[in-house]
Amino acid sequence: MNLSSPQPVSGWDAATSSWLPAAILLLVTIVLWEAAVRIFSISSFIVPAPSEIAKSLVAQWGTLMQATVVTAGEILFGFLVSVIVGIALALVIVRFDWLGRALYPLVVLFQNVPKVALAPIFILWFGYGLAPKIGLILVIAFFPVTLSMLAGMQSVDRSLLSLMNSVGASPTQILFRIRVPHSLPSLMAGTKIAATLSVIGAIVGEFAGASDGLGYVIQFASTQLDTALVFAALLMVSVLGIAFYYAAEILERVVVPWAPKFSQA
Amino acid sequence: MQVETIRPAGGRPTHIRHDDLISAKGVSVVMGTDRNRQLILRDIDLAVPQGSFVSLIGPSGCGKSTLLKVLAGLVNPSSGSVSVAGVSPGEAARKRMIGLVFQDANLLPWKNAVDNASMLLGIADKSMSRSALRARGQEMLDLVGLGDAAHKRPNELSGGMRQRVAIARALALDPAVLLMDEPFGALDAITRDSMGQSLLEIWQRTGKTIVFVTHSIDEAIQLSRQVHVLGIKPGRITQSLDIPLPYPRDASVTEVPEFVRLVLQLRTMLRSSHQPGGAT
Repeated sequence: MNLSSPQPVSGWDAATSSWLPAAILLLVTIVLWEAAVRIFSISSFIVPAPSEIAKSLVAQWGTLMQATVVTAGEILFGFLVSVIVGIALALVIVRFDWLGRALYPLVVLFQNVPKVALAPIFILWFGYGLAPKIGLILVIAFFPVTLSMLAGMQSVDRSLLSLMNSVGASPTQILFRIRVPHSLPSLMAGTKIAATLSVIGAIVGEFAGASDGLGYVIQFASTQLDTALVFAALLMVSVLGIAFYYAAEILERVVVPWAPKFSQA
Repeated sequence: MQVETIRPAGGRPTHIRHDDLISAKGVSVVMGTDRNRQLILRDIDLAVPQGSFVSLIGPSGCGKSTLLKVLAGLVNPSSGSVSVAGVSPGEAARKRMIGLVFQDANLLPWKNAVDNASMLLGIADKSMSRSALRARGQEMLDLVGLGDAAHKRPNELSGGMRQRVAIARALALDPAVLLMDEPFGALDAITRDSMGQSLLEIWQRTGKTIVFVTHSIDEAIQLSRQVHVLGIKPGRITQSLDIPLPYPRDASVTEVPEFVRLVLQLRTMLRSSHQPGGAT
């Protein structure tokens, strides 16, 4: 390209130029990792070489995929429940003032409970199936949804509310015509956080007690000292996390195309 | 006019002239809690004739915005009485007699210009169909000179254009009075001038009564028929100035010697209004 005449950067060029440095760094890290393991002959129980992980990934592909599907289902289900409960809670807090004043401090208080520690209790209550995972994801992930939606609903400009009041708008009209749509950009930011937390919730839930899923594979493989498989499963978890995050990001673009970008990952 | 038929029982009809659309008598506003009570407005008497263009000008903190809110029915006066077209401001607002425009256009970013223009009307009149609302919104956008921007979202409009949509939104209610709180305060000088010209054209075409809060001397004189000067601590109307410049006024009005004289006169009034306290 001719440097003296600046040309508009195409979408593809912009994408590669923003991805390229990260991709190079990743590649360099993998190469150095492989080299270090070989040069210092580190035991594969401790740190498996990337090539070992790749081999394990291929060899155990069937198991891993099956576990991934299970975990993905938990994440998706738990995420949806978290978003629905989170939104409902925010709506109730805003619409019913007295109930809001009762609920909000308790919600914040509950936020200080280390929710990961609830996993064993949920297993005790709900068994080894899907329910305890959904419960755990819910308690971990609903909060950013509620909080971000509340912040969005409460940041409506006062003079806009004055305008609405001047034509006799009801609280319900103000809620659904103004507050809720106004909160969507902020809510979508909270939803992205909830998507990430849902992955954590599912894995922790599986650690605490499961017979399937990536968390189970990680735990099982580590008891077998199959560290390469642990890393392979970790890779799948990361892929899931990224997939859910970007799904939430695409959702954001669909729901609030009019909004200024809140955050850039 | 309705004024004669719907007069408030407790009002003081002897003071209400037939051609006054807005009348405030002895209005005071006290705000704050018991410990920290503040007299925001003291003993305001204001009469705005039907079809007039009246400006309220004064230093920051003189309560001119509060006065506008009282007229809009958004703030209840602690004492005194206000009537808009013969009824209380709150009732006038419910009857869609009051159109409000603030400094910030406050458009809904998820709606395009035409839907923003008809948004308040849609809430005030639930019987209107979507297409009727659209038609009304489009009509108002045409009136404010934004007919071609109907499908643009607020983030695609300039500050001046957004404020035009806000004016269209207020006009869509077909109010008797437009209450405007520094509507051009956030705009640059050039946009401000052209907005002022447009507002005068809209005023003359629609015959609305306009109460206009500003802190710009030039703007007040250029646009209004009468200017009320507010003083601080407490907020009160210290002096009033009639602007005898003939309409229609265009930008060249600022070059007339009479304009310059009025600017000097208003500036002197404003200076004396800065002294707190003082007899009304």
